[in-house]
Amino acid sequence: MSAISAKRKRAIALLSLTSIIFITLDLQGSASTSVLRGTFGVFFRPIEGVARVITRPVSNAWYGITHYNAVTQENDLLREKIAQQEGAAVAAAASVRLSQELLALNGLPTLAGINSVSAQVIGDSPSNFSQNVEINQGSDSGVKVGMPVMNAAGLVGKITKVFPRRSIVMLITDPEYALSVKVINNPEAASPIIDPEASVPPSSTSTTTTTIPQPQPTSNIPGFTPGTTTLPLTTINVPVSIPSLTPTLTVPNNGALPIRETGILEGRGPSRVPIVRFIDSAQRFGTILPGAPIVTSGGSLSLAPPDIVVGTVSKVTDRLGTSGPILEINLVADLANLSFVRILLYQPITEQVKP
Amino acid sequence: MSIRFIRFISSRWTRLVLVASVLMGFQTTLLNDMRPFGVMAQVMVLFAACAGVIYGAEIGVVAGLIIGLMYDCVLTTPLGLASLVLGATGFIAGAFPYFVRESSWWNKAIAVAVASAVGEILFPVAQALVGLGGWVQWRIFVVAAVVALINMVLAPLLLPIVRWTLKETLIG
Repeated sequence: MSAISAKRKRAIALLSLTSIIFITLDLQGSASTSVLRGTFGVFFRPIEGVARVITRPVSNAWYGITHYNAVTQENDLLREKIAQQEGAAVAAAASVRLSQELLALNGLPTLAGINSVSAQVIGDSPSNFSQNVEINQGSDSGVKVGMPVMNAAGLVGKITKVFPRRSIVMLITDPEYALSVKVINNPEAASPIIDPEASVPPSSTSTTTTTIPQPQPTSNIPGFTPGTTTLPLTTINVPVSIPSLTPTLTVPNNGALPIRETGILEGRGPSRVPIVRFIDSAQRFGTILPGAPIVTSGGSLSLAPPDIVVGTVSKVTDRLGTSGPILEINLVADLANLSFVRILLYQPITEQVKP
Repeated sequence: MSIRFIRFISSRWTRLVLVASVLMGFQTTLLNDMRPFGVMAQVMVLFAACAGVIYGAEIGVVAGLIIGLMYDCVLTTPLGLASLVLGATGFIAGAFPYFVRESSWWNKAIAVAVASAVGEILFPVAQALVGLGGWVQWRIFVVAAVVALINMVLAPLLLPIVRWTLKETLIG
């Protein structure tokens, strides 16, 4: 009996030591742990596949019982939203195209210039303490560690582990995730900048009345009523300047343009929304209001290219001194219901493995 | 040679690996989809706790370490972390036979629930110890409570399976 006990104690010591060595190797980024995981996956995937087939009816029944009301409500809401957004999408697509053309004309990087791979989400992390999903594209499709992942709404996360035909995506809400972002703040009351030297007083000024007629609905998109987005019949007084014959210099009104400040977005787990810290409390930036959009900042050391939509500010917590406010973020991507994602084939410099 | 092979096949540890593979299949599919109160049931923690409750601390630790190592291969946390946590869970559950001489099914279920709750709390603590901070939040107590409740319900179903799996030998 004591011999068996000694044997078991040796086994316990050996297994514990193996675990500690594996932890050390994995934290050092050793490839051996990935090889072990990959080898185990080869044997385990068929078992998982069979289990998935067997348990699918039970999973579906569970979803049916627990989510029926939510799904019907969501369907109604989505139908209404689709009708509203179909029209807006046409206008937005035109604006995006114009913006991309302008950026390309000036030699600035755009998302349109980055290739991407579409993937399906095939599983969540089977743990209560990690925020990862598994997708069905891997190194065979050109996916590499560090590449940003987004869905139709916005940024979702980044690739953390790559296998030949699958990858692991760390979601934005994981406490390990941090990303440089921009907050685009619209100044509340932008005062025009007057340059007394540059501006030439107009020779004469008069006031005229302009009537903007209500546009007729012209959309032929089914389910879209453009009446909700058209301007009402308005009468406004516009001061019209009649320039003199002397040359004039136009100074752009910077105060009316959106102002951008950078900060760091940090995930805080599934039960708490991500936050943005280290925003400068510059006077020009003004007060950040809920609803201000958050986009990726880009840059040579950033994890993602610029201007990927991340979310909007939901709450602003001011702090004393120069530490700047903390912003709570409503993510635009619904991370609880991910089905399809897009991997941008953009590997940040910081994630590239040196030969 | 053939006797050795039969011994190896009929060994409790071989059975453990096979049964744990099947349970892990359910863990990564069915239990991954069904999340009551937003918390995933942890059948691997349940298995380690059941092993400890039935066969004592030593078998509980070895079973926990082995199935933990398998579980590590599908998790994204550092390899070996779940192994140590499940080993500790098996050890804690293994204290039960020392305190209760003639146990019934319901006090075994309670012991499994307590060990599961402690094991579930150990996960984020272990993550913090290796530098993966951010998971030690008040939420872990909610997660531990839900996991304990689910495991208490599932324990009477899994205890016979664990008893059969870790039986010393099926031959001779």
